[in-house]
Amino acid sequence: MAKEELEIEISPSGKVTARTLGVKGPRCLELADLLARIVGREESRTLTHEYYETERQVTDQVDLYGHR
Amino acid sequence: MSTVVVLAPIIVANWPVITAVVGAAVGSLGFAVVRGEETSQQRGETTTREEIEIDNSEILTSDTGFEEEIVVQREGVRAIFSRDARGVLRVCMEGRGTSHAELRRWGQELIDRVTQQYAYHRIVTELKARNMTIVDEQVEEDHTVKIRVRSW
Repeated sequence: MAKEELEIEISPSGKVTARTLGVKGPRCLELADLLARIVGREESRTLTHEYYETERQVTDQVDLYGHR
Repeated sequence: MSTVVVLAPIIVANWPVITAVVGAAVGSLGFAVVRGEETSQQRGETTTREEIEIDNSEILTSDTGFEEEIVVQREGVRAIFSRDARGVLRVCMEGRGTSHAELRRWGQELIDRVTQQYAYHRIVTELKARNMTIVDEQVEEDHTVKIRVRSW
């Protein structure tokens, strides 16, 4: 199973910034949701290219089935 | 890179948790927990007082018998953390020869550090309960805490 990591920074005023590493697709959102439930109010969320990697693979599979 | 999320902590805890968090947080600002002493108001001393309410806090009632007040002190400045009737965490700052602005600044520093400690406590406790492992932890010079957590 792939290694999933979270990099969490807690500022001196308590603000939490968390970054997922090696986590692709919707699992990113699951981890972000989990942290939001643990900590409190979500101020912002940014999705970067790694999030879309798994989604692209799923789309390719759908296309393959579409050719059958 | 994949997802970056920014979160503002909401303190929801019972009094024993608050006591532990305050005790752990204030030492880095030179404050220490004091017990069984009268407040300067009870002693009839003239002091400056400043009350600060901690937004985003909800202190749950508990029947554990713990007194819902914790007093910390540093060189003549006292901070009394308590739960008000609405369940909000408050800190009352008292000091002799100090201005309201100074007390407010010190009070805000205390609140920030308590909020940081609470966020740390919640994150570590909850992630460990989900079988995640803390693989690295560092405290920067500016007191920022950095944690690296692994899940398999």
